[in-house]
Amino acid sequence: MTTTRTPFDIPAHASSDDPRVTLDEQLGVFEPIPPYPPRTEREAEFYTLRDGEMFVNMGPQHPSTHGVLRVVLKIDGEKVVDLDPVLGYLHRGVEKLCENADYHQAICYMDPLEYISSLFCEWSPVMAFEKLLDVQVPRRAEYIRVLSGELNRIASHALFMGWFALDLGGLTPILWSFIERDEIVEMLAALTGQRMLFNYFRIGGVNGDLNHEFMSRLGAWMSKATAHIDSNQALLNENEIFVRRARGLGVIDTATALQMCMTGPNLRATGVPFDIRRAHPYSIYPELDFDIPSRTEGDCLARYLLRMDEVRQSLRIIDQCLHQMPDGPVMAKLPRLIRPRPGRAYAAIEGPRGQYATYAISDGTDQPYRMRIHDPSFIHLQSVGLLTPGNLIADTMAIMASLDPIMGGVDK
Amino acid sequence: MTVVGRTWDRLTIPGKILAVVIPLGAALTAGLAILIAVVGGAVVQFLADNLPLVRFVVAATIVLLMTIPSAFLIIYMEMKVIALMNLRYGPDRVGPFGSALSVVHGLKVLMKEDFTPTGADVPVFTMAPVVVYMSSVLSLLVLPFAPGLFGQDFNIGLLYFFAMGGLTVVGLLMAGWSSFNKYSLLGGLRSAAQIVSYEIPLTLSVVGVILLAGTMSLNQIVLGQAGSLFDWYLWRQPLAFVVFFIAVTAEANRTPFDLTEADSEIVAGFATEYSGMRFGFFFFAEYVNVFIASGLTVALFLGGWNAPFNWPWPVTVGLDPGGLGIGLLLLLAIGPPLAIVVLGLPFYLLNSRIRFWQALVIGFVLFNVVAVGAVLGLAFLSFDWVVGLLWFMGKTYAFVFTFVWMRGTLPRVRIDQLMGFAWKWLLPAALLNLFVTALAILVLKR
Amino acid sequence: MDRALRRRLEARFGKVLTGPVRQRHDETEIRIGAGDVPEVLLALHDEPDFRFGLLSDLAGVDTGTSMQTVYHLWSDSSGDWLRVIADGLSRDDPRVPSVTFLWKGAEWMEREAYDMFGITFEGNRDLRRIYMPPDYASFPLRKDFFLADDASRSPAGGVRHMEQTHGPTNAEAGARIRQAPAS
Repeated sequence: MTTTRTPFDIPAHASSDDPRVTLDEQLGVFEPIPPYPPRTEREAEFYTLRDGEMFVNMGPQHPSTHGVLRVVLKIDGEKVVDLDPVLGYLHRGVEKLCENADYHQAICYMDPLEYISSLFCEWSPVMAFEKLLDVQVPRRAEYIRVLSGELNRIASHALFMGWFALDLGGLTPILWSFIERDEIVEMLAALTGQRMLFNYFRIGGVNGDLNHEFMSRLGAWMSKATAHIDSNQALLNENEIFVRRARGLGVIDTATALQMCMTGPNLRATGVPFDIRRAHPYSIYPELDFDIPSRTEGDCLARYLLRMDEVRQSLRIIDQCLHQMPDGPVMAKLPRLIRPRPGRAYAAIEGPRGQYATYAISDGTDQPYRMRIHDPSFIHLQSVGLLTPGNLIADTMAIMASLDPIMGGVDK
Repeated sequence: MTVVGRTWDRLTIPGKILAVVIPLGAALTAGLAILIAVVGGAVVQFLADNLPLVRFVVAATIVLLMTIPSAFLIIYMEMKVIALMNLRYGPDRVGPFGSALSVVHGLKVLMKEDFTPTGADVPVFTMAPVVVYMSSVLSLLVLPFAPGLFGQDFNIGLLYFFAMGGLTVVGLLMAGWSSFNKYSLLGGLRSAAQIVSYEIPLTLSVVGVILLAGTMSLNQIVLGQAGSLFDWYLWRQPLAFVVFFIAVTAEANRTPFDLTEADSEIVAGFATEYSGMRFGFFFFAEYVNVFIASGLTVALFLGGWNAPFNWPWPVTVGLDPGGLGIGLLLLLAIGPPLAIVVLGLPFYLLNSRIRFWQALVIGFVLFNVVAVGAVLGLAFLSFDWVVGLLWFMGKTYAFVFTFVWMRGTLPRVRIDQLMGFAWKWLLPAALLNLFVTALAILVLKR
Repeated sequence: MDRALRRRLEARFGKVLTGPVRQRHDETEIRIGAGDVPEVLLALHDEPDFRFGLLSDLAGVDTGTSMQTVYHLWSDSSGDWLRVIADGLSRDDPRVPSVTFLWKGAEWMEREAYDMFGITFEGNRDLRRIYMPPDYASFPLRKDFFLADDASRSPAGGVRHMEQTHGPTNAEAGARIRQAPAS
């Protein structure tokens, strides 16, 4: 078909969402090439096709991009030559919103960042604000924070297992792990009042004390948790197809991982036992007895197995928290309206994906002057571009899933 | 206004319908009688002369009509079984245990808008589902369901089967190419690579069976396995069975070899741009292919319609309805009402909250259950094809369950692993099997 | 607070520091000029006294009068987070050398700072917008960029009706914007 069907005058910079553009076949608008000249060296290099290559626009609606991510793949047959993640489809400007909200309101903007590990998103800003205010958090509140945080970590890792298997084509593990996650989420709902966006951590403590329903649910779940987790993992760990696909895929070595600013399980899978709970202790973690698992392979399988090991360590931590839980208040005495002295504070915690950090600047008013949120998903997603080239299209999803980014956190 | 007009106005709506239908029927009957009287003899003679043709047309129609309900059944089975494996409920709203859900799905697919993407190659895009569905239905034609119950008994049945099965790839490539979508293109190319590669071990693994049976007619191959469990080719060709089963899974595009429609990678592969009933054809063809793959495995290796043990049948039933004479008519007239009353009576007597008409309804339902059971039992005892069909379907659905089970358990393999497995493992295994079988036949026959 | 780290920093970087080394809680803070960023970070990364191997965070800050880039580093040689503030970038054309030669993973964080503040990182090979659309003209996290419902913060706007829709906009010339604390 050689006729150009353009009844309208299309501007040169027309967005590809413009319905007038899709009528035109001559412009090649079905290619994901941006409608403007390249701005950087890298963009020019990426959007130039060599012989036999083509672009595939994966996303923003795609079954396995873990949210609204668009990845432009440059492929040669089945092989991925290069890729360019395009972010911003979920960008809400949380940092700007926080600058226009007071300190308490800012915390509830944190929950939807990484919506499957919300407590960790709350934890680092709360710690940063406490540093600004010089507040001492009651010990019972610290224990409750660690207890609920580790539960949330298990829920997050359970979902990771399901998604990883789903991106490798397995249907069942995601539903099994959702069952596990649902029990934890119901438990946390009994504690915090919300299933997903908890808004539980407050400056100077937590919102409410442990209650009977939470404790009974936790006790019932703890008695069978190990068996459940083992049986869920047996479905994958003993599966030849799964192991063969994940082993040796997306290998990253220690030096490169540090260069890529990786933290968390993705860094520990390369052999560095860097865990902020031990490397830069906060809260009551120095008093607890747990191991930092690490693996040396640095491939997708190692990243998966490492997270599964972490689940067992989290169970140990929960057990100790329950045994050592002190009595006392769960909130420090603070005024309703908080005006910290001018200053700067940085707080980082170890979440299920790595380092969640907040850099807060106070100018003496009731609203933070600047709040920088550092999200591990954002950092880890950029190494997909490093790990994927040379692998097949199917492996792109496996590598992306093994790094475990959550688009809510990536796009902030 | 005439008399006819006044009368017509006075008629009620059913009366008007009858007034049209009865003369029309009478005219048609008269016309048909005249037609039969004039050319009937010639037509009957023609049909009698070309009995295989008649048989073929009838069988093809029945097979074509059979695919839809069997696809529905497999779709429901897959939804429900995978749901139970996933610890979900699965379909449970439409019909008993949600069993009508796949029918509703079929109707939904029929009613949905069917659109063609801009830039698609319209004739090819339209023909692709037809080709895929046609190749499935055509290969069903030679599958022996029961003694005497098959579409056509070619002496090159197996060859025909693989030829028709190989046509599928043409349809998938057409769909992938014509959709004007890169995911579709990738899916089509993957299916071409996959099906062409797995065709070779598939065909080679069957050659051993052909050597043993001495024929390519599926009917004869099944007859060659008559006897007990240990006469099945499964025991004489175990390696071929394994190779065949793996290759046929890949041919049917089922997990773990469902790369052509890998939803986490290339969205829906060749079917990405299809909607409405065109997608429905792809969907049905996939499940018909599952049925065919299972049926072929059963026919080749598990004895087809043969029972796994020497069942002491046929039991002669000394029942001759014709011998009753006029009593048969009497029995048919009195029997059902009497049975309904007798079956409904206990409910009326034992539960005071049931009215007599409710008891009659219950009795009617019970009578139907009993009567259908009795007729089926009689058929089971009297006709060996019913027994054969039951055994064949039982074995086939056991294999369909295996396919569903694999879908619920296994992840997907990667394209290079898929191709490597076909060429490095399955092909040598199939060749080894062929040589060993040929050698054994040579040695034993001599 | 790690007093030893403070002494080592003062001894090593005494010439390039533009302010005193500050310490509070578990944080140590130094201020340097924008031009010194590569040398200082390279020294902190490589020298056996420091070994700050992990770039924990990279942020841009608009102080209302100038721009900053803030680097947070972690080392196993110290119990503190080290904060390096590259201060005094002009608000009209903020430029700072990129650190992607040390940490390749800083690339996206620098892209984010460019997108949000308009800070140009010289040496970053892929400095384009990351969150906002490519044809977007403003830099949202600057202090002269007001949110739509930010009535109290935009002196010219006054109280706005809820029904009216306002897009986020850049401040008009002469509008009052928030200023960072002086320290």
